[in-house]
Amino acid sequence: MLKPKPAAALVLDGVTAGYGGLTILRDISLRLLPGHMVTVVGPNGHGKSTLLKTISGMTQQSSGRIWIGEDEITSLPAHAIAGLGVAHIPQGDLLFPEMTVEENLLMGAYLTAEQAQIEQRFDEVYRLFPKLAGRRDQTASTLSGGERRMVGIGRGLMMGTQLLLIDEPSLGLAPLVIDQIYEAIGALKASGRSILLVEENPARVAELSDEMHLLDDGHIVWSGLPAELLKRDELLATYLGG
Amino acid sequence: MMDIFFSIALSGLTSGAMYALATLGLSLVWGSMGMLNMAHGAMLTLGGYAAFAVVMQMGLPGPLGFVAALGAGALVGALLYMLVVKPLLRAEVASFETAVLMATVGLATALENSILLTFGGQPLAQPVKSDGMLQIGQQGVPYQSMVVIGVALILMGITAYVLQHTRAGRAIRATTQNRDAAQLLGIPVGRVYLQVLMFSGALAGICGCLVSSITQLSPTLGADPMLKAFIMCVVAGLGNLPGAVLAAFALAFIEAIVQYVFGGRWGFPVLLGLVILVLVWRPTGLFGRAQIRRL
Repeated sequence: MLKPKPAAALVLDGVTAGYGGLTILRDISLRLLPGHMVTVVGPNGHGKSTLLKTISGMTQQSSGRIWIGEDEITSLPAHAIAGLGVAHIPQGDLLFPEMTVEENLLMGAYLTAEQAQIEQRFDEVYRLFPKLAGRRDQTASTLSGGERRMVGIGRGLMMGTQLLLIDEPSLGLAPLVIDQIYEAIGALKASGRSILLVEENPARVAELSDEMHLLDDGHIVWSGLPAELLKRDELLATYLGG
Repeated sequence: MMDIFFSIALSGLTSGAMYALATLGLSLVWGSMGMLNMAHGAMLTLGGYAAFAVVMQMGLPGPLGFVAALGAGALVGALLYMLVVKPLLRAEVASFETAVLMATVGLATALENSILLTFGGQPLAQPVKSDGMLQIGQQGVPYQSMVVIGVALILMGITAYVLQHTRAGRAIRATTQNRDAAQLLGIPVGRVYLQVLMFSGALAGICGCLVSSITQLSPTLGADPMLKAFIMCVVAGLGNLPGAVLAAFALAFIEAIVQYVFGGRWGFPVLLGLVILVLVWRPTGLFGRAQIRRL
């Protein structure tokens, strides 16, 4: 059994969760240290996104406990978890389609009252994704896939949290754009943020990650260093198709 | 000729203002919650009677009647959230839209019958109104029409300002466009729904006060504005607020012209005919998004 330690940015202890009567995740335990990046890899449809949704309160948890820092967030509603410092950047971006880029970003700072802090975060987002600065008055529904992903990540940053949950940021993007997105994620890690990332392809994130977990059918079937996983051909072949 | 034009313009503007106000509340609730509030008309009726009760039975000044109408509507909106919407959302029923539609039909019946038992079925005159007329040349404009148009414009302006420029308004717009994303950003969606229903109820209450000041108070006062508001919402595209306001004024003018040319009884059939034509031409309404929900 993992015990929560103040040093950990995120701790999951024996978490089981699902939708309605259907169990998707079974007995998941993991720990994310401050400033680290932990990546969960695995095939599609085996619970990676559900894991992030469970942490952020979007999926019902049936057992186990979750902490961020010293705060237990087990079974809290999603808006309360966001208020305690979890920025979940979901798969498919979930932007507000009729709002502009700037309005979408501003919604990220919904819980922030201080204008100076909001301005500071806008600066950080536009530094990280200069392309968005030129698109700030453009409606989100008219953006390209890569730009949408940038707004999604930017909106998460506008929350001002130190813990980011990022769900398959490369999904459906061209290789060049994927490189840009991972470059930005690398910069976020370098800034000291703690990141729990979900990805299908371990090779793509091996350099950035401090630890990897392999998720299959809702169970963590392997945990270790990214370089070790890349050497385990039998694991890659069995669970990730090569 | 000027007389005719003036008369149609005044009638169209006054009706349009009332329809727009009724439509605004209905459309706001649909747009942000995907909920067709069948009790909207009854909330409107309650607003009219609340104003009546405060002025005629409690002897308080007219402006307080207006406040009572607003408060009664907002209170029913809050109760609707706490007693109907919140439990239905928690229960995760198979079709929230259908369940809430049926529940609000029940609420409407309960409200109308409570009003009937309390005030009786006979028509009553609304005391919260301005008598007299403003003479412009040879034309007379009733003060009450000016009040109706003025109040409706002010409330539409307030609604637009709140939605565009306040934190609460941004939360409503965000929840409307993507409920899950709103929650992930820390927006308490339940509280947003409560605010929307209270705001919509307040608009309905004031609208009831205004409608009854032009017509009369009766337990079925809200039925006609509710039906018209629903027509405007469908023509505009459910949930589209600017479109709903535009449709309200346009259809009110068309109704006024038809009533003048062909007689009063032709107004409503022509409105219904227009709805059918619009839906054949554009099934999602004139300004609606291509989104169809099957109930």
